[in-house]
Formats: sequence, C-alpha cells, structure tokens
Amino acid sequence: MILYFLSLVLFVMGLYCLIAKKNIIKKIIGIVITEYSINLFLILIGYRKDGIAPILFRGMARAEIPDRAVDPLPQALVLTSIVIGLGVLALMVAICLRLYEKYKTFDMSEINKLKG
Amino acid sequence: MVEDLDQKIRDSKKGMSPIVKTIVRFAMGIIILFGAYIVLYGHLTPGGGFSGGVILACAFIILTLAFGKDLALTKMGDTAASILDNSGALAFIVIGILGFTGGFFFLNFISHGKLFQLFSAGIIPLCNIAVGLKVTSSLFAVFIALSIFGRFISKLVDEE
Repeated sequence: MILYFLSLVLFVMGLYCLIAKKNIIKKIIGIVITEYSINLFLILIGYRKDGIAPILFRGMARAEIPDRAVDPLPQALVLTSIVIGLGVLALMVAICLRLYEKYKTFDMSEINKLKG
Repeated sequence: MVEDLDQKIRDSKKGMSPIVKTIVRFAMGIIILFGAYIVLYGHLTPGGGFSGGVILACAFIILTLAFGKDLALTKMGDTAASILDNSGALAFIVIGILGFTGGFFFLNFISHGKLFQLFSAGIIPLCNIAVGLKVTSSLFAVFIALSIFGRFISKLVDEE
C-alpha cells in the first residue's frame, strides 16, 4: 500500500512541475514524470511476492507459470504505454523547437502573441 | 574505399576528440551485435523488436554524436531511414494479412518448430524483425529531424 502511495506522490510532483514551472522544457519533464509514475503504478498492480518473470525457460514445468509468475498483462500494457510516451515526447520536443524558433525563448509567460 | 573513408574520418576536425572516436569505433560493432541478438531472440528471452530496435537506434545516435552528421547521414540518410521505416510497417501488415491463407488475421501459419530453438514460434520472429526495423529507422529519423534538420530549418527562418 505504501508503494502505491509513493507512486501517487511521484504523480503529484510531476503535476506540480507541469503547473508551476514557466519553462516549457521543465513542463515537458513534468509530463514525463507523471507518465512514468502511472507506469510504475500499473507495474506495481501486477507485482507478486517472490514472483518470477512470466517466461517459460528451459527445464521449467508449464504449471509453474500460473503458480509463481507475476501478472504479464500490466507489463504488456506498460510496454505499449512507453512506446506511446516516446512518440508524444518527440512531438512535444518538436513543437518546443518550433516555438523557440518563433519567439527565441522557452519562457511560457513571454509567449503571448496568440490571438483568440 | 573503406580505407579512404576511414582516413577521411580520422583527419576531419568534426565531431568529438580522438579518444571518443576510437572508443566508439570499437564499441560500435558490439552494440549492433547486441541489438541484433535482442531482436532475433525476442521469442525466447526477454526483449524483442522494440527493445532491440532502441539499442540499434542508439548505436546510430552515438555514431552521430561522435563523428558529426556527415558520416551518420552517409550510413543512414533521412531518405533511407524513411524507406526502412515504411517497409518495416508494410512487412508487419503483410505478415498479418498472410494469415488469411489459413483462415484469419495474424494466424501463425508457419510450423511452430521445437520449443527453445532459434527457428521456432512461426511468425513471431518475423514480426520481431519487422518491428525492430521500424523502431530503429524511425527513432533515428526522429533524432536527425530534431537535431540536424531542426538547425537547418532555423537557419532558413533566419534568412527569411
């Protein structure tokens, strides 16, 4: 339970960084921290004490997997989530580069030429 | 030809110091071998197309950082990266559609082979190779788009 709470703390730290900081790069770091805390939470749901990896190794009985292995579903989910996070990160950095070319600054409060 | 290129790289002032260049030249083959191992053994051990593809892309990124953009763009240019990226996605879809020969989408239509052999598990190693190809080339394409062509575009904007 304490581990779930710690991942919540990590989530709130990322959210604080996303809201309070003015530098866009720091905002991106906040988004990434939030994302990783959610990944950590999902992995922790599938955790099992003294569990093994859900892979059939040589000389292992097949019944051992459901008896001892950790839950593979959150791991598959988090792998997909990491890939999507990578794509989103690349998009955010590209938008940041364009903003820097236009305004010559990363400061959010100085990027104010948006009308409407 | 190879000697010529090697000499040109050694003489050029671009990139990092000779220490970094020498270490990268030694480590390059080992990194690519490790990435290929992770991709090819994806159905037996932890790993697979995405993880191996990220390692292979990191090998190209290290090459760019150490030797400058000219060498990296001759090894894999933006056009080649784009073509490899699209062919990886196309190969994955073609493997999925070939399953219709046996009845339904993504059917494992090749013989499964023996457990724990390298050539086993039907289409799963082929899918891993397709995904690895796509991840390698698209990650490297993202890197060169953000670093090299980003500077290029900003120069264009300045000239305007």
